[in-house]
Amino acid sequence: MLSLKPLQDIKLSPLALLDSAYIIVLLPLMLILKVPMLVFSFIVLVLLFLKKAPAHKFLIVFVFLMGMLALYLSLYGVFSFRGLSRLKLFLELLVYVLIIVVSMQRLTREINFYLLLSPILFLALSLFFFHGIMMLSYVIVEIFILLWLILAHRMSGDMVESFRASMVMFMYSLPWVVVLFIFFPRISFDHADYGFKGENIQRMGHDGTMFLDSKALLVPSDRIVMEVGFDKEVPSSDKLYFRGSILYVDRKDHWEPLPSTVKRKSPIYYPQKGESVDYKVTLYPTQKRWIYLLDMPALAVKGADLDKDLISTVEKPIKAPMHYAATSSLSPKLHDNLDQDTLYASTHFDAKRNPKTYREAQRIKKRFKKPDERASALIKFFQQQSLVYSLKPKALDINNTADSFLFDTRLGYCVHFASSFVVMARMAGIPSRIVTGYKADKANSLNNYLSVKERDAHAWAELYINQHWVRVETTSTASAIDAEAEEILTGHNELLKRLNLHLMYIKYQVETWILYYSNIRQLQLLQYAKENPRFILIFVLSLVALVLITFSITLYFRRPRCTHKILCILEPLLRKLKKEGYSRENGETMHQYFMRYMKDHPDNSVIKEVDKYYETISYGGDSSSATIKQLKSMVKKSLSS
Amino acid sequence: MKSLRTFAQIYRRIDQHATRYSVVVVVLLFGLFLEAYMHDFNLVYITLFFVFSLAFSAGPIGILNLGHLEASYLRPGRLFAFQEGQIPIEISNNSATTSWSITLHDEETSLPLDSIKSETSEVLKLPVTPNKRGPFTHKGCYLESKYPLSTVRLVMKIDETYNGVVYPEPKGIPLQSFLQQEKNHYGEEKEFDGLRAYDGSQKLSHIHWASVAKGDISVKVFSKETQTPKLVFNFYTAATDDESRLSQLCLWVLECEKQNLPFMLQMPNRVLNSAKESTDVILETLARY
Repeated sequence: MLSLKPLQDIKLSPLALLDSAYIIVLLPLMLILKVPMLVFSFIVLVLLFLKKAPAHKFLIVFVFLMGMLALYLSLYGVFSFRGLSRLKLFLELLVYVLIIVVSMQRLTREINFYLLLSPILFLALSLFFFHGIMMLSYVIVEIFILLWLILAHRMSGDMVESFRASMVMFMYSLPWVVVLFIFFPRISFDHADYGFKGENIQRMGHDGTMFLDSKALLVPSDRIVMEVGFDKEVPSSDKLYFRGSILYVDRKDHWEPLPSTVKRKSPIYYPQKGESVDYKVTLYPTQKRWIYLLDMPALAVKGADLDKDLISTVEKPIKAPMHYAATSSLSPKLHDNLDQDTLYASTHFDAKRNPKTYREAQRIKKRFKKPDERASALIKFFQQQSLVYSLKPKALDINNTADSFLFDTRLGYCVHFASSFVVMARMAGIPSRIVTGYKADKANSLNNYLSVKERDAHAWAELYINQHWVRVETTSTASAIDAEAEEILTGHNELLKRLNLHLMYIKYQVETWILYYSNIRQLQLLQYAKENPRFILIFVLSLVALVLITFSITLYFRRPRCTHKILCILEPLLRKLKKEGYSRENGETMHQYFMRYMKDHPDNSVIKEVDKYYETISYGGDSSSATIKQLKSMVKKSLSS
Repeated sequence: MKSLRTFAQIYRRIDQHATRYSVVVVVLLFGLFLEAYMHDFNLVYITLFFVFSLAFSAGPIGILNLGHLEASYLRPGRLFAFQEGQIPIEISNNSATTSWSITLHDEETSLPLDSIKSETSEVLKLPVTPNKRGPFTHKGCYLESKYPLSTVRLVMKIDETYNGVVYPEPKGIPLQSFLQQEKNHYGEEKEFDGLRAYDGSQKLSHIHWASVAKGDISVKVFSKETQTPKLVFNFYTAATDDESRLSQLCLWVLECEKQNLPFMLQMPNRVLNSAKESTDVILETLARY
């Protein structure tokens, strides 16, 4: 068990305890401090180390001026009213001011109420800056250490006893924390900004447009976009298409959605066929309004809009992790009645551009009458073009992107495949459009958990065939993949990849059930409990187990501390004898005590042996490990006899 | 079950009072609650719940820390009016755990005690200054502790009352001065037995003048000298008013006890003989006059 021996001789003064508390609470904040403020903090530390007497008032004034200079230099350039409109900058300023004031007070070497209170303020401020798993672990440790230091102050600086007492208190409070955390009513607010402007993050694989030049939809990043927990098994990779946006308009170098002036008025046709799956999504801040649903969404998500193209959006850009539950039908088809505007948008092409593609498309159009046959012919044509999947394609001729890709460079990735395919399909007389979003890989799943990363951003085509939009995986027409793309896509080490996935899974569970636990999760939990009485039983049993565990730990730390080595060995036996009514009297030697017991129990030879070894170790000068071992064994034997 | 019953018994014995740190905890909880609610930060919720639970568990832990203690008055030394004396109070810890940060209070003073180990006791001496002689009662003592978090001040009253006697304030003419006035102090002189250093209380006729000439002052001692059978103190002649008389007599009684001199005390209605009554009984008679 935990060894506290190194702490036995340590007795910290109130000032030392307070300093320890400041070190603990300031550690995470050090990560946000600018260099001048760090230098200032270091100078104050040196002054405290060198100067053991209360500082002279001139030194305190000097420290104040130095602090103000450090503050000015730290916030130089953003130190304006405009800069202060950012919440985190404002909080940073508060941290700086607090550090300066605390430094000045600390140099006086007087502990006042304010100095006692400030560590808590630092703790509360640090919670504004960090919300990850590391901070979660740190906060729990931080709370324990602060409790330890408070108790050490109450217990005259005795670090061992205060540690034991703080373990007891911590364990007492742990079940309460768990119960409160689960059941305390939550209201899911947007993060309040009190009029402060949020800090925008502009980095997304999917952003509602699709560029074909250097801004193309390629973010080979492992940043998690969303994490999905399926109620059942994760579907196969060929069904993991997360719908983002629909692009109709070809702008040479990029594709756009329908103009906002075009309103599709026909009703939404929800998919009727396909396997239905229920899943819960944690979508990390995107600063965009789209939420991603698995093809094809069967229902609108609560609080979100679902348009006729089954694209789901929320009212405001997503600035905080968003959790939603959704249902989809795993179907590659979607029924639709095209209105005039949409038909026009999905068939429009510029005949003057891409003449080679146009020629091939016309050939297919003349040869095949039915749209599905034409689509098959198009796929076959793409397959015959020996297109190579590459993450670093050569630059395309921006005025003739399809020709350039299909007949010239023949190198590209999803956007180039989808764009060229849709252009050619339109030329062949098939209404078509591009869908952008994410295509996840089942290899990135564990149990029912699936992570979707930036690198999974994808584009594919939808062709309008027999009053249905049919998904076509255009990238699959590639006949080869270049070595570099293969390396990036498959990764180097399968073991590392798997390990990383397991870590991601743990992170996801912690984030889902602790860091981003919300009223939705609360309601889901209650709903699940309503439907599954067995779950209630398991839940209650888990709580009881937690209480028992914490209670056992409490008992362990509450028991009196044994400081004498030999008496510690004898302690269980002494307890047993006491239970039998033989308490050791004041002034009675251990030998007399054992003899008194032996008088009433002459047959108990084990006690005699214990007495013999005790005498040998204590007074016979033989404290070898072998003798101590013998004593231990005799005590053990006496307990079982 | 037994521990719950014990806790309930202890709980009834202890009063709980809020401290300024409890206000800090309330403000902190409110602040964290706002931060958690407005920002939906679960880390803040966790901190909030920890602060709440720790503050909540501080109550029972503090009660168990204080509630197992037993305090009882020990027999004090003599108490005299207008003089600071000490009342010893024994504080026993009957639990299996050490009690921390205890303070013994009465109306005027407080005595801190860092810790009392399990199954041990400590004696604290409470300073008192009685303001009159006679029967004396000391009560209203209590044990206080802010353990563990200073958020609650726990108070356990000591129900026991100390009943004793405060003797008159010893003051007046010193015994030596009184003895010098008494002619028969040394009785009959029979046979010269040697010299002794002069301490100011002997008769001038006993001074050994030869030693004075050598620079020392010695007095002659006679072996068959028979002392006056008893020193006799008379209540009425001791001083002019009752309180002064009692103070004077008290002083003489104490000095006689110190010098192991037998004496008699003539009170208005009775005579106290040091050979028959102990000094404490004599002093108590004076105290209760």
